[in-house]
Amino acid sequence: MPPFRFPIPQGTLDMLILQILSLEPAHGYGIAQRLEQVSREAVQVNQGSLYPALHRLEQRGWLKAEWRESETGREAKFYSLTRAGRNQLAIEKESWNRLTAAVGLIFNEGQ
Amino acid sequence: MRKLLNLFRWKRQRLEKDLDRELRYHFERRVADRINAGLSEAESRRQAQIELGGVAQVQEEVRDTWIWGWLDDLARDIRFAFRSLGNSWLFALGAGSVLALGIGTNTAIFSVVNTVLIQPLAYPDARRIVSLEMLHTNTGRTSPEVSDPDFRDWQAQSSSFEAMAYCFGEDDVATIVNGRAEFANYRLVSPDFFAVFGLPPSAGRLLPRTGQARVVVVSREWAEAHFGHAEAAIGKTIAVYGGALEIVGVAAPGFHYPEETNIWAPAGRLGQSRVYRGLQVIGKLKPGVGLASARTEMQTIGARLAHQYFEDRFTNVTLTPLKEHLTGNVRLTLWLLMGAVSLVLLIACANIANLQLARSAARTHEIAVRAALGADRGRVVRQLLTESFVLTGLAAVGGVLLAHGIVRGLLALSPVDLPRVEDVRIDGTALLFALGLMLVSTFAAGLLPALDASRRNTSDALKQGGSKGAIASGSGRLRSALAVTEIALSVMLLAAAGLLLRSFEALHQVDLGFTSQHVLAAYTQYVVTNRKEAQDRIAFYRDLLRRVRAMPGVEAASGAAFLPLGKEPRPRIDYFMEGQPEPPPGERPKCEYQAITPDYFKTLKIPLKQGRDFDERDTIGRPRVAIINDSLARAAFPHESPIGHRIRIQRGPQWLEIVGVVAGARWRDPSQPPPPELFEASFQGKGGSLSLFVRTTRNDAGFGEALRRTLQDMSPSVPIHFETMDEMFSEALAYPRFRTELIGAFAGIAALLAALGIFSVLAYLVGQRTRELAVRRAVGAQVSDLIQLIAGQGLRLVLIGLVLGVVGALAAARLLAGVLFEISPWDLGAYAGATAVLGITAMLAILFPALRVVRIDPLIALRHE
Repeated sequence: MPPFRFPIPQGTLDMLILQILSLEPAHGYGIAQRLEQVSREAVQVNQGSLYPALHRLEQRGWLKAEWRESETGREAKFYSLTRAGRNQLAIEKESWNRLTAAVGLIFNEGQ
Repeated sequence: MRKLLNLFRWKRQRLEKDLDRELRYHFERRVADRINAGLSEAESRRQAQIELGGVAQVQEEVRDTWIWGWLDDLARDIRFAFRSLGNSWLFALGAGSVLALGIGTNTAIFSVVNTVLIQPLAYPDARRIVSLEMLHTNTGRTSPEVSDPDFRDWQAQSSSFEAMAYCFGEDDVATIVNGRAEFANYRLVSPDFFAVFGLPPSAGRLLPRTGQARVVVVSREWAEAHFGHAEAAIGKTIAVYGGALEIVGVAAPGFHYPEETNIWAPAGRLGQSRVYRGLQVIGKLKPGVGLASARTEMQTIGARLAHQYFEDRFTNVTLTPLKEHLTGNVRLTLWLLMGAVSLVLLIACANIANLQLARSAARTHEIAVRAALGADRGRVVRQLLTESFVLTGLAAVGGVLLAHGIVRGLLALSPVDLPRVEDVRIDGTALLFALGLMLVSTFAAGLLPALDASRRNTSDALKQGGSKGAIASGSGRLRSALAVTEIALSVMLLAAAGLLLRSFEALHQVDLGFTSQHVLAAYTQYVVTNRKEAQDRIAFYRDLLRRVRAMPGVEAASGAAFLPLGKEPRPRIDYFMEGQPEPPPGERPKCEYQAITPDYFKTLKIPLKQGRDFDERDTIGRPRVAIINDSLARAAFPHESPIGHRIRIQRGPQWLEIVGVVAGARWRDPSQPPPPELFEASFQGKGGSLSLFVRTTRNDAGFGEALRRTLQDMSPSVPIHFETMDEMFSEALAYPRFRTELIGAFAGIAALLAALGIFSVLAYLVGQRTRELAVRRAVGAQVSDLIQLIAGQGLRLVLIGLVLGVVGALAAARLLAGVLFEISPWDLGAYAGATAVLGITAMLAILFPALRVVRIDPLIALRHE
């Protein structure tokens, strides 16, 4: 019986993808694996929703993609962050931090 | 366009294939991982499948992001375009108005062309209605006039027609309605006339097939004007030519064929002669019968009749769709206008492309930054095209609004007889046309600049910094090419306008052979029913003229049977000379016929060359006399004086003695040389009712009314209407004037746009080379050298444009040949004029940017570093 995992909040997936790709370019399967590692305990990511998200980010110009040889020797589509994507990630981190800080403040008020 | 679609299809296919590969990679890696973890292959596949949640569904979701992404981009591009146009609102305003003007004029002219030339006539199955005409095989000309026996043979022997009918008659026939004398346009028609048009009556019934001769059908508008409404007209009696007729029906609303007919009456039995040709024949083809097969059938019949009847031996039949028959003389004018406005639009597009190039040069840095931020070339092109699209979209809205105004202006300017001109409006088809123009101009004006801008080297542009980016030399060449194109196209238009103007001038200056100045022409009709009344009529006009001559300010007054300048075509008749054998019918020489009172030549200042004018002695019972013009004198008496010779005309058995020879006059059409003419004396009982010509000492607006009062004092039952001869002349030149004014206006617009084009190219050039020019100044170049440098470059473009334009104009000039009067399509003056006008405008456009060189400070060279 796997432990209880709550579904990922709307919009957070995009931010996680940008974060993962800010470290190094990766293909879809790689991103899925990384997501699974970091969120094994807490967050459930439907792998099916990964690809629409990737394409959406590419459309917005935050990601760019190219086909190149992967670690298994087969061609895979590698995504990497564009400059606009990097800016976007910074903006999202900033607003996430502000949000969580604000929420934390409210929760701590009563104690 | 197909290429573009293919590009889209190809791109789409590539996207799909990539997505498929991407998902398969994921799936297979997952399966491999599971197998490594110790699961069976089947189980691994099952789990991977579940985790991915169905490949098809994922694909569908990804496709959604593509579409939304595309729409999202579009919305963003449009927002961005508005902002960007707002930032350079001067450009937007300038380019937008130029395009609006282009789209507006095109839409307006198109809606005229569409209504007048393209849309079918407003009758049921109008496409099946044809006009049948006589083809004169010896001259190759066609004539709408057909004889009654020929018509009956055509009708009886053909099987292609559902109905065939004829009509004939005259305009301005004396009519008495509600007890008042006035003119009406009257036509006699054969029984199937209304069946050809297939329109039901507004009230009452259409003409009966048999019997009942004294009945008429009137037009709806005429009935309403005289009796209030259609039903009220039924059963009323009117008098036409003095005979009482009963109104039995009112035609469908808007029906007034032919021309502006008010009254239709059944034609009785006509003459048996095949030479007396005066009927206009129309027919409606049976459903499913093609024009070609009907034409073949009629040609067979025509050939048979030509074989059978001596009078018809040089004739055959031709068939034209009624629409073409009615619009024949405006076709060329309208298509010329359409051509002219398309050129204007092309020039406008070239101009905007040019301005865009200048702008995108200034925006090189902005575009480079966007490219560096990851926008691919297609994305940049798309954004710039969206900008053009927004611009042309706004321009199209402005253009359609403008087109409304232009159409109204056109209708005010247009010749009154432009068929169906009253129906012209900006309708759905015209809007679609405007939309098409918008799309075309988006690409025409936007594609080249967009491709050019996206081609610039990103890193170069970024290194330069600021808005003064590096300029690819290709862009300069493109701009020059556009400016040259604009100049060439405007030269073509200007040359066309020049030719029309010269021809119009020639028409105006042509010696008509008679004076129109201060001459009033008054049309009257005195109806007679018997010989006694005919005698009274002569006395009436003699008395009327005597009174008119006594009116203050009258210099000369006279009467004639037919009005000039196409108002009333004069009959062309055969003539025979005494002592010469009579040629067989069809080979007889012809002249135009007119019956006049004394002083006619004096009133119109037509010089008498030999002999005498008619005078008071030339009355009934005296020897019959005639006057001929010098065209007829030359044709009939090439070697001797015609005075004293006798001549006979088709209309009567009597010989007429020639008593005078007058100069020829361009009576019918200013563009045609005077035809042979023969005049008879009206007071010898010839010509019937008269039109009066009165020459006064000065232009007197009230004189016509005074004349009307004089006439009505004498007899209230003689209707009159009048016009000055100058007005008539001006009407006769309505089409040439219409063409000349409009094409002239369009050519003017084109020249201005071309000047703007060359100006912007040079201004841009000076701007780009500021530093170079400053360096030249610093190392000692004179201002005049620099001006020469810049102006020289401009002049080269202008020269190339002028040469190309003249070559193009010469190639296109043949199209104009049909509307030119006494001017060759290769008229040197027109081309020289066009070249000069554009040359001078272009010089000015060159001068201003070139003079900016003077203000260049050599220090800029240093400051820039």
